[in-house]
Amino acid sequence: MSHVRGVSVERGVSLETLICKARKYIVLMAAYDPGIHLGSSLSVVETVVALYGSGRLKFNMANGVDRNYFVLSKGHAIHAVYAVAAAMGYLTIDELRETGSLGSRLQNHPEVDTPFVDVPNSGSLGQGVSVAVGLALGLRLRGRASRVYLVVGDGELDEGQTWESLAVAAHYGLTNLVTIVDVNNVQLDGRSDEVLRKGDVAGRFRALGFHVLEVDGHDVVEILNALREAEESAKPAVVLAYTVRGRGVSAVENTARQRISRDEALKYAGDVC
Amino acid sequence: MLDLEILTPREALGRALADLGDMREDVVVIVADTGETTRAKLFAERHPTRFFNVGIAEQAMVGVAAGLAMVGFTPFALTFASFMTRAWEQARNTVDRLALPVRLVGTHAGFADAYDGPSHQMLEDLALFRVLYNFTVLAPADSCEVYKATTASALVRGPVYMRVGRDFHIPTTCHMYDKFEVGKAYVALEGSDVAIFTTGVVLPFAVEAARLLRDRDISAAVVHFPTVKPLDFSQVEKFAAATGAVLTVEEHSTHGGFGSAVAEYLAQVKPTKMAIMGLKSYGRTAKSPMELYQYFGLTAENISARAEELVRLR
Repeated sequence: MSHVRGVSVERGVSLETLICKARKYIVLMAAYDPGIHLGSSLSVVETVVALYGSGRLKFNMANGVDRNYFVLSKGHAIHAVYAVAAAMGYLTIDELRETGSLGSRLQNHPEVDTPFVDVPNSGSLGQGVSVAVGLALGLRLRGRASRVYLVVGDGELDEGQTWESLAVAAHYGLTNLVTIVDVNNVQLDGRSDEVLRKGDVAGRFRALGFHVLEVDGHDVVEILNALREAEESAKPAVVLAYTVRGRGVSAVENTARQRISRDEALKYAGDVC
Repeated sequence: MLDLEILTPREALGRALADLGDMREDVVVIVADTGETTRAKLFAERHPTRFFNVGIAEQAMVGVAAGLAMVGFTPFALTFASFMTRAWEQARNTVDRLALPVRLVGTHAGFADAYDGPSHQMLEDLALFRVLYNFTVLAPADSCEVYKATTASALVRGPVYMRVGRDFHIPTTCHMYDKFEVGKAYVALEGSDVAIFTTGVVLPFAVEAARLLRDRDISAAVVHFPTVKPLDFSQVEKFAAATGAVLTVEEHSTHGGFGSAVAEYLAQVKPTKMAIMGLKSYGRTAKSPMELYQYFGLTAENISARAEELVRLR
């Protein structure tokens, strides 16, 4: 694995290229299924690229006992994962077009038959956090070097279960768990702070005993640097990735809006890269 | 063999888990500040590295158990039945949809915690877990059966919910059968006029009711179903056919529980005159579970009266 700026040695493609392709594919999926969570997928793209493009996580699951695990607790943003998989050659564009269809493996939340996902039942918010903690606890008990990468949304911080589970992670000192919060400041009913004030999120994590890192969640290099620091931390670490919901698509950017027209989607997908 | 009769149901649970931990490295136990009260501490003392306390956080407990199951462990998560049901949606979405081998054990079920009142007296758990597609649902009658059911549950492939009491039980099953099998009903008494089906701790009340009925020349069979799901349909059908009158008895709501499971089956396969005995309201604070059984009418006398009525009206 290389930490050269923006370059993934694994497939010889720059991370910037992956990001651009992934954005294009997410919007393309929105053209075929307006029901996908477009804004939330667009805010988390750089994080997913940082995890998969750097080789920390692999789309090929047959990669040994010490492999790392991924929990996308904000399961509605799974299209970011599908898009990155396609950008890296693990899914075809044809399959992306079928997303959300009855017969498709690419369901609108990760399911049992969805390829690549370790936790195929996220979507009910807060539950992926507990599962990630259980995975990290189990992997440590087994003496594995594996890490668990957990991505949660900032809206998900409303859930009591989220904090129940984070307290368990802190109490048991789960340094093999790396949590990333996609702080896009939007949830279903509007701006996160207006729906329910989250308070000093960094302070809440610190008070529990987390090592807190804050990054621009659209800067993949910043994310990679934070991940490295998180992985070396003596305490469980959390990366607060500040993002823009719907980043790149002006019609939904920074709003709770979910849908764009097929024309808008196709125009964006054609223009972006 | 360990003398199980002298243990309370929760002690039998703790012992079974500790013994299971000796045999199986994959068994882990998780509690929600309930290590002492559920007697999970008996496991913790012997297997401290495989014991986790998540604090008073039932939803996290169920999710953490699921995560442990995903990397090959067989987790037993224990708390009061009343509070386990707080994590029902976690049991549905995180455990049942993936059919993970998580065992949820709800202790202090029914009226077992007489002292703490209705907030602690869970009468709806069998209904709640019975509707989940992959869950096996167990309700053992006494400490012997708690021990055996706990041990047997470790071999079930999917998720399991088991309800256990606290200290109250009347030892009945210790010599009733040799081997406990998940999904099997056990005949406590043969009879030809009416069949009394029970689950959980009320079995001895039904046995006593059958004796009372014998004095009135009514021959009552008593069949015990420690597994509520999957139900032993062949025994249900066999005794329904043999007697033509079925009375179910459970320390649980009359809605959606064991009686409902029997009724759902018989109504579709072999319509039979039947009655469902159980609870129709929340509990009360009392000095003992027995006081509550008396107060709410879950007694041998009432069971025999209801059975007699069924026979006369058949």
